[in-house]
Parts: sequence; C-alpha cells; structure tokens
Amino acid sequence: MTAPTTEKFAMGKSMKRKEDPRFLQGKGNYIDDINLKGQLYMALVHSPYPHANIKGIDSSAAMKVEGAVACVTSKELNAYNVGWLPTFHGLDKQMVLADGKVLYQYQEVAACYAETREAAYDMAELVEVDYEPLEVVNNPFKAMKDDVILRPDRENKTNHIYNWNVGDSSATDAALAASDHVVKQHVVFPRCHAAPLEPCGCIAEFDTMGRLQFYVTSQAPHVYRTALFLVLGIPEDKIHVISPDLGGGFGNKVPVYPGYVCAIAGALVLKRPVKWIETRTENLTSSFARDYHMDIEIGASNDGKLTALKVNTVADHGAFDAAADPSKYPAGMFGIVSGSYDFPVAYANLDAYFTNKQPGGVAYRCSFRVTEASYLIERAMDIVADELKMDPTELRRKNFIRKDQFPYKSPLNFTYDSGDYEHTMDVALERIGYKQLLKEQAEKRAKGELMGIGISTFTEVTGAGPSKHFDILGIKMFDGAEIRIHPSGAGIIRTGSKSQGQGHETTWAQIVAEELGLDPQNFLVEEGDTDTAPYGLGTYASRSTPVAGGALALAARKIREKARKIAAHVLEVDERDLEWKDYKFEVMGAPGKSITMKEIAFAAYTNPGDNEPGLEATLYYDPPNMVFPHGTYVAVVDVDRETGETKVRRFLAIDDAGTIINPMIVEGQVHGGLTEGFAIAFMQEIAYDEAGNNLATNFTDYLVPTSLESPSWETGHTVTPSPHHPIGAKSVGESPNVGSPAAFVNAVIDALSPLGVRHIDMPLTREKVWAAIRAAEGQAAD
Amino acid sequence: MKLEYNGEEQVPLAKAAVWDFINDPQKVASCLPDVQEVIVHDPKNFDAIVSVGLGLVRGKFKFKITLEPEEGGNRMNVKISGGGFGSAVDLLAGADLKDNGDSTTTLDWSGAATMRGPIATVGGRVLDAQAQKLISGTFANVKTRMAGN
Repeated sequence: MTAPTTEKFAMGKSMKRKEDPRFLQGKGNYIDDINLKGQLYMALVHSPYPHANIKGIDSSAAMKVEGAVACVTSKELNAYNVGWLPTFHGLDKQMVLADGKVLYQYQEVAACYAETREAAYDMAELVEVDYEPLEVVNNPFKAMKDDVILRPDRENKTNHIYNWNVGDSSATDAALAASDHVVKQHVVFPRCHAAPLEPCGCIAEFDTMGRLQFYVTSQAPHVYRTALFLVLGIPEDKIHVISPDLGGGFGNKVPVYPGYVCAIAGALVLKRPVKWIETRTENLTSSFARDYHMDIEIGASNDGKLTALKVNTVADHGAFDAAADPSKYPAGMFGIVSGSYDFPVAYANLDAYFTNKQPGGVAYRCSFRVTEASYLIERAMDIVADELKMDPTELRRKNFIRKDQFPYKSPLNFTYDSGDYEHTMDVALERIGYKQLLKEQAEKRAKGELMGIGISTFTEVTGAGPSKHFDILGIKMFDGAEIRIHPSGAGIIRTGSKSQGQGHETTWAQIVAEELGLDPQNFLVEEGDTDTAPYGLGTYASRSTPVAGGALALAARKIREKARKIAAHVLEVDERDLEWKDYKFEVMGAPGKSITMKEIAFAAYTNPGDNEPGLEATLYYDPPNMVFPHGTYVAVVDVDRETGETKVRRFLAIDDAGTIINPMIVEGQVHGGLTEGFAIAFMQEIAYDEAGNNLATNFTDYLVPTSLESPSWETGHTVTPSPHHPIGAKSVGESPNVGSPAAFVNAVIDALSPLGVRHIDMPLTREKVWAAIRAAEGQAAD
Repeated sequence: MKLEYNGEEQVPLAKAAVWDFINDPQKVASCLPDVQEVIVHDPKNFDAIVSVGLGLVRGKFKFKITLEPEEGGNRMNVKISGGGFGSAVDLLAGADLKDNGDSTTTLDWSGAATMRGPIATVGGRVLDAQAQKLISGTFANVKTRMAGN
C-alpha cells in the first residue's frame, strides 16, 4: 500500500489489532462456546416442499427419542401470539413456524427440544409432516402473472409487493429519444448469500428474576432488545441481549430469525435455557442477498457524453418481504445507480414480487441494494464504451462528476459529499500500467489469445444513517458512544456498534486516542452487551465509522472540553487562555506551560477544583448526510479459449474511503471483500430448479474460495475526506464487495469481445464462459 | 428435480392374473427394492418403509402408496409420495396392460418423479442412475414375482 497521508498521533497508523491475540490463540468467545447449566438443545424441522399445504404434523415418534422434551409447532406459538414476526421494515409479517402452509423449501415447520444436541436432531428427523404439494412459483416473472397467489394471508391478493420509483420519467424518456445512441442491456445480479463461516445461533434463558438473558449472534443487539419487546411484549428492562465474538456477519446476522423466537419461547415455557446453533444448510437456506433482474438504458451523444439513464428492475423477494432495508425507500439506496457519472437526467423504477424462495434480501456487505446498483452501472458503462468504440476509461473520464461539483445533487436525489474520481482512476491506471496492458492485449488478440482488462470506477453510499432517511421499526439510526477516562489516563470505550471482525477494539481506541492524545493501547473497547453499551443500531451497511465513529470523535471532544476546565484549574489560568495544541492544553503565549490529557485525567479524580469530578462523556450522533466512498478497481484476466477457464492475473483496488484510521485494517477489509466479490463473480449462486429445489444448500454446492483459488490482491488508496464527518472518514468495509464484481465481469467480457460476446450474467463459471465462446464461434462460422 | 422414466416388461402370465397381482397391495409392495415394512390400510392404500442409500442421503423413507386401477382392467396408476430425512419424493407411475394373446402380458410402464430436498441436491449427481435402477428394479421384480406365482 502507499503510505497513508493521514498519519497523526494515533490515526493513520497500522497498529496491530488489539483483539487478535485472543483470536489467534483460539480464545475467542463465540456463541457455541457458551453453555448454561441445565440447557436444552433445539433443532428445527424444515420443509422439503417449496409450496405446500400442511395437513397434519405428528410428533409422536419424535417424542419417543431418549432425551426428548418437547416439540412445538405454529399452533403452540399462535396460542402465545408469537406465531408471526413483523419483518425488518414492518411492512410485512413472516411466519415463525409454518402456519397452515409452507412457502419455501427449508422453511421452519417445527421446533424440537431435547436434553442433547443429538437427541434434538433425531427428533427433528422423526417429526412426520403431511404435506399437500402446491404449484411452485420459482421466479418473479411467473409470480407477476398472479396465476398462483402465494400469500392469501395478505389483504391484496397479488404476488406484487410494491412499486418504487425515483427520478424524472418523462424527461428521461425525452432525453433518450433525443440521444444519438441508446444502449440497452438486461443484467441479472443472481441470488447469493453472505455465508459467514460461523452460522447464526443463540441461547435463551429466563433467570430467577424472570429476566431474559439472550446470547445471540447479532450485528445489532439493541435492535434485538427493542424488537423482542415489540414482538413478545417483554419489558425492555427484562431483556438482556449479549452478542459475543462473531465469526463474520456480512449482513447475515442482522435479521431476527425464527429459530431465535423458538428458542426464547422454549426457554419461557420449559423453564430451562435453550440453545440453538444453525447448521450450514440452515444458514444458507434462511436468507439471501440480491436477486435483482435489471434492464438498463443509457443515452449518449456521438462524442461519448451521457445524456440519460433509465433502469427498470424486477426484484425477487422470496416468500416474505423481509428485506433488510431500514431506509424510508422500499428499494433502499438503489438510487445510487447513477454511480460516479454526471447524468443530466435519470429515472429508476422497481417492482418487487413474492416467490417460493427463502425470504431475506440481506444487505450482504452493502448498504441496502448498493451492490446491485453499482454492478449495473459499471457493467453498463463498459457496454456503452464498446458500442461507441471508446476506451472505457475515456468514457468514464468524460462523464465523471468533477471534483468541483461536490456537494453533488444526483438526478436520483442523493447529495454526494465529496470525491475525486478522476484522480483515483489516474492513480489506478498508472499503477496497473494500463497503456502497457493495452499494448500487450493488442499483441495477444493478434495471436487469437483472450486477454481482458476490466475497470470499475464505482461510488457507494454508506453510513446509515441520517434520521431523515432511516429508521428500524421507528427507531432512528443514530449511534451512541460512551468514553470513560480513568485516573491513569487509560479508559473504556463503549458503542452501540458491534464488530464481527472489523477490528473495532483497535480502531475505536485509535479515534479516541487521536482526539485526546492518549495511548490507544490503554483503551478497552466493549460492544455487544445491551446492559452496558449505549443505544445504537449496530454494525452493517458500512455504518460503524460513519456513525459510531463520528459519535466517538464527538464524545472525545466533549471530554476535551471538560478537560479544558480542569486544565485551567490546575494551571491556574482562565480556560479561554488555553488552546489544544500538539495533543495537550497549552497556555496561549506561554509555550512551556502545558498539561497533557494524562495529567488532566489524574487531576479529574484528585484535584478537579470546582469542576465536577471524573472524566467521561456520552454522545449520540445523528449524521447530517450519508458518506460516499469511491474507488477504481482494475482486473486483468486471461481466458482459455478451449476450456473457458478464467485466470485473474492481476487485481488492483484503489479505494477512497476518506480519512483512514488504520491502513492495515483497511487492507485486510479490502482483501476479504475482494475475495467475496471474486466468489460472486465466478462461482456462487443460489439457484433453484423447476421443482423449487434450492440447489445451494451446503459448501460443496455453494462455493467459498480459499487462498488457493483467490487471486493475489494489490491495494492502495487516495484520500478525499468527507466534509461533514467529524474525522473526515467514510467507510471501506463494503467497497470491495460492491466494486469488484463489475471489474471481474468487465474484464472477462473484454477478453471475449473480439468474438462478439456482449454480456454474460454472473457467476462466470468456466462452463458458462465456454458456452459463450462456443456460441460466438458458432455464429461467426455461420 | 423432475425425472421421467419408462420401460416395458414381458410377463409370462395372462392379463387377468397380472391384473390381480398388481391390485394386491401386499404383492405390489413386496416388489419395491429394499422394502422393510408394509402397512396395508385398505385394498388401495398402503404405506411402505424402504431403505434408501443415495450419496450422502441414507436411511429409511416412508412412502404412502395409492393404487388407482382404471375401469376395464387395462391400466393401473400408482401415486407414491413420501420421504424422510428432510427429503420428499412424489412419484406418479402408470402401466398399460396388453394381452399378447399367448398367455403373456406386456406391461408398458412410465413414471415421473419429483424429488425435493437433499435427495435432489446432495444426491442429485447420482440420483438419475439410482432412480432408473430403482424403478426398473421394481418392474423387474413384478415380472419375477408373477413368474414365480
């Protein structure tokens, strides 16, 4: 990586992760490491049918298993009024256990409780369910015909869930009609899954005081507490949510899953702790991401100036409208589809449908439909360049939002905070040796070899979020931070965010240490415990640094103001005569007379004068806007003409995430996200067959790349700070997953373009690439 | 996953005898390969518990079987549904009986099976060959048992 330009006292330093000694020694405390005295184990019965009426459930054989304790169905849950859950945004409800019918394969049908994990699974296998199969609707295009209504429980007897649109439809149509060129393409972002290595799980216990102690793999513990109050009616003071170390989340650990409700219900009724840990299949079949079918039209002038953008999308939401979307907009942040480009006019329209597939719409390492949007526009830009016979970098350069246009109001209603797209692309092209690569490509093409260069110059919108745009069940998406400084200058930091591997124990300490001039090694960071952490809506959507990070910086500045008073007392000057300079308070005009924060901390407990003793602050931060990280990614691939095998020879990611807190952690996040993007581009898809079978229910069918398959990543960054964020930071955790799929696909299509191949939908398996080559060569032969 | 099969068996018995055989639940069930237990509810409905080993999917499957003879004794339809271990199988099979006029009968059979769950995914790679073996085995057994009669 290039040297960070933001290095200061504690910020911008590649400080080793404080949490790593624990993880590297196998001393992490994950959900399945926690065991409570007298706990029962729970296993779920899942439907093999994607759509069927349930005519009966017989648990008599299951209850004969040694160690069997109870078997629960929707009948029992309905008796307690917990048979259905409100979905994330409250616009739909979903069954906890199948109620009368099943709507997707692997839907939860019954919960078995037993003395041992093995007995619980034995029970689940012996529960007999009498299904009456119904016609399966396995795609949204079949769903829109409304021949089979999947959700008769809803008022509107249609599979159509909602229509959403943004922008100026008639002006866009007029601009397209007047354009020299209109480029159209249908692009699918297939159904995929976040697939964290640790699946979800929980342990629920009602303690002797009747208080729910709920250990759970949650990216948003406070949201769970309030949701449990809203769903179960348990007063919030009687709910304690503890999210322990998490083995990855990527959005998968945001939703409240039926298993959680069943574990809590079991603990309540059976009066014993209940533990439930998902199997891999349960993890892969209970939620999903993406599944957007998009049609894009881009207008352009003869000289390559973009004139209009129009997008029509059909979204497959599965059995329930349970998309993880806390924004006020049904399709989340999909309006970022105009990307990094200055479209004079644009319009996006989206219709969502129910199908017999697993529900969810998890924001898999993205801020609510940003990945779909970024992939679409970056893919389409290459197709436009191809049709106009322009270099894709030149088309981009010609249409970038210029640096002097920020804050930039996009035609789809976002106000981009800052960016310097051209500079970032120049850095990337220089570093990858773009001109040399073009020369090499021309030589290879002359020999019939297939080499491709793929560019993606994406812009994201992250940092959910400002209360004017976001809420979950009415709760605004601010975040709380609490800092306590001990007499020695050490301290404790607590936030409402929750690390799943992002390294908050390190980066939060660096932010506070930077603001206060204290040692980041002497800060303990605590998250995930609703009894101690200030209220906050958790970690997903790249919101931790934009929101909780902002709250921490401002809380630290609050401490600094309190410290100023104590410093004035100790130095016997008026506080107005003090200035914060070089990480200490100095008397203006008397450079030698100063006091460090460490000294002030001691004074706060030993000699505060007339000031309130102690040194701590709590602050809740409602950001004024989202942040808009961007980047330029370049992939270089070689495609084997005979086998369709693609080798990613090089991949360079230049990210602009604003101010960087810890370059090493950023690099690690980028490596992880690129590997996920690589998997999505080349190997992963949750596909269904005609009968509604989910064909990706385990890691032999849903492939996760190891270091052996993954390319070697090259990374770097530019820094364009956010003007409104307290420390100028944006975010980076999601950028590589958002930005990389288009770079990979653009590279492969660039390689195949001499054959006349225009587009292939992901995943670009060797079989699909091989078939595309054969088809193109066949056409050429005809 | 939907699979379709068909075949033809020559049975050395007169059509009436064949018709009697395939209308007897106990006899029909005994022709299923690896059948463990048969529970006859009435002349047209019975349950069969069958050992299944298909890739990683191994164990006992319970099937509900309904015989649906057509008037005239020329065609028998069979509806089989059931499963186990989170998998489900729905099979619709039918056989036309043709009197060959020499005290032998032709069983012209076809079947379409829909597989769901792990049997279709985990077992999918070997499913087609196994199902083919299972179905042709069943009709071969029918022929053998009848010949034994």
